[in-house]
Amino acid sequence: MAELTLDSITKVFDDDGEDVVAVDDVSVDIDDGEFLVLVGPSGCGKSTTLRMIAGIETVTEGEMRLDEHAITDREPSDRNVAMVFQSYALYPHMTVAGNMRFGLEESTEMSSDAIQETVEDAAAMLGIEELLERKPEDLSGGQQQRVALGRAIVRDPDVFLMDEPLSNLDASLRAQMRAELQELQTDLGVTTVYVTHDQTEAMTMGDRIAVLNDGQLQQVGTPLECYHEPANRFVAGFIGEPSMNFVETTVEGDRLVADGFEYPLDGATAEAVREGQGVTLGIRPENVELVDAAETDHDIEATVTVVEPMGNENNVHFDLSGESDDLIAVTGGFDPVDHGDDIVVRFPEDAVHLFDSRTGETLRNRRLDVEQPAEPRV
Amino acid sequence: MSQRTKTDIGRHLSNASRGRIALYGVLGLVAVFYLTPLESGVTTALKSTEAVGETAPFAPPGPNGFSLDAMRTAWNTLAPTLVNSVILAVPATILSATLGSMAAYGLTGVDWKGQVAVVLLFVAAIFIPYQAVLVPLSRFWAIVDIQQYGRFGELGELIITHTAYGIPICTILFRSYYQNLSTEMLEAARLDGASTFSIYRNIVLPLSVPMFAVTLIYQFTQIWNDFLFALILTNTQSAYVVTRGLNALTGGIVQSFNTQMAGALIAAFPTLLVYIFFGDRFAKGVAAEA
Repeated sequence: MAELTLDSITKVFDDDGEDVVAVDDVSVDIDDGEFLVLVGPSGCGKSTTLRMIAGIETVTEGEMRLDEHAITDREPSDRNVAMVFQSYALYPHMTVAGNMRFGLEESTEMSSDAIQETVEDAAAMLGIEELLERKPEDLSGGQQQRVALGRAIVRDPDVFLMDEPLSNLDASLRAQMRAELQELQTDLGVTTVYVTHDQTEAMTMGDRIAVLNDGQLQQVGTPLECYHEPANRFVAGFIGEPSMNFVETTVEGDRLVADGFEYPLDGATAEAVREGQGVTLGIRPENVELVDAAETDHDIEATVTVVEPMGNENNVHFDLSGESDDLIAVTGGFDPVDHGDDIVVRFPEDAVHLFDSRTGETLRNRRLDVEQPAEPRV
Repeated sequence: MSQRTKTDIGRHLSNASRGRIALYGVLGLVAVFYLTPLESGVTTALKSTEAVGETAPFAPPGPNGFSLDAMRTAWNTLAPTLVNSVILAVPATILSATLGSMAAYGLTGVDWKGQVAVVLLFVAAIFIPYQAVLVPLSRFWAIVDIQQYGRFGELGELIITHTAYGIPICTILFRSYYQNLSTEMLEAARLDGASTFSIYRNIVLPLSVPMFAVTLIYQFTQIWNDFLFALILTNTQSAYVVTRGLNALTGGIVQSFNTQMAGALIAAFPTLLVYIFFGDRFAKGVAAEA
């Protein structure tokens, strides 16, 4: 059993007399065997949090517990965690086998035969048996990354920590390794904390994701929860590619008033907002519909600025009635839309999210009973 | 580029060779300037005493003036001192380099407060001139009396003195090298369960070979060629190292230049060997620092 609990973890760095709060009161409960992804933009504190779990960074305030045992003050070598670094951090003067043996030699009493067997088993799992006698400098990036993984796996730790392990790989290899890592983690069943800035990795790999920004935890939930029910504007804009469209509006009566258009709200939605409130209207590109002519009062005139053909889809960038907002709609790949076209876009009310302009807090998320998102079946 | 005609090329070549000739001429003169002392030393060492007085220093010995007597005398005088120099230089070099490496690791790979102050102390120590510590040093060794143990006592004094004197420079050299080691690699070792010393022994030390080449060569040269400490700290002739032995070849009413030159060549030979065999590594190691 390896339940990891982060309880109000805070990290303050002293930068030339100035206090820099890198991690601010972060609390997450991670279940045994769960794959939790810490995701956020650069500098949000996710790597610092991971390093605190590893013990290579001290904790300023708060507590960390592994299976109810406090590990906040324990040495890294006593925590039974294994880490895969972004730069792999292999020992250049040792062979692959030597790299994988080192941890077992240093932290266990296993015989060299037992160690050899464990190393060979892990190598087989990762498909690197032929590389055991080679040195890291002779290996490709993908092979080095597998060795780094192997080094972590042989330790049989309570927790895997991974710090952006796929960032240094090229795109196709990254996609392949994503799938392999997921499979590996499911097979081994080890609690894993995975740090990345790539929201695609977060969405596809995590059982749950924890979104961080500026050291503060924005939301913890399953990928689909964060996608369809974001807790605030930051999460809504960070998760999803291409990212959600935002338009600034003000509430007047039963409608939202923006610079170029007005958007009427139905009764249930109107209850979530106050008169005069600044409200950010959010709608995901794939929910923006391109219609032939304005029929409903949720249709708005727009001009196409850029069309990005993706093959199966087109990313259509458009401006609303004179404003330049860079909003995006995703349409079918065969739609004959072109730069400069005048179009009509529809923002269906069911798909609209509303956020407070000042605080970013979600006032209303899209209705899900219309389109039930399929929960992933494992 | 426009088409070059044959005459253009010809002109270019003759211009180039004129410039080249001038360049090589200058380089040749500089080479002669630098090598003349060494060449004079070699020729003088191979001359008989009469020939020394009769011929110019840099002129090679004629068939009459050629003699190996000077070399033989020098060798006989210096042979025991060579042994002492080896007994001094080898342990002192290895010790100062190893201790410097450990100190540097403590200052880079391990986290503790007050490191900057300690580093400053080391840097300051490098700049202490030999001359400044002579008096305190001899008083110290008068108190810590291992001189009583004769030859090996005095050599021991020299070994300890040179080791201590060499540690600061070795530490600073290793420190700049260790600062370039990947921090993540050391962190990975820590997570693997290795203790601080185990990290040093298994990871840092094997990766330090280039810098060891630099420090060992540097220290060997410094220690082998030192005269001042050897002069002050050794009194019994059986403990003389090669620099003191060389000094003993001078003096007297008649200056025998040929013996002195022969002695100088013999004294310099081991360091010359070290540079021939390891100079490449030294240059690479120093270049890697830049």
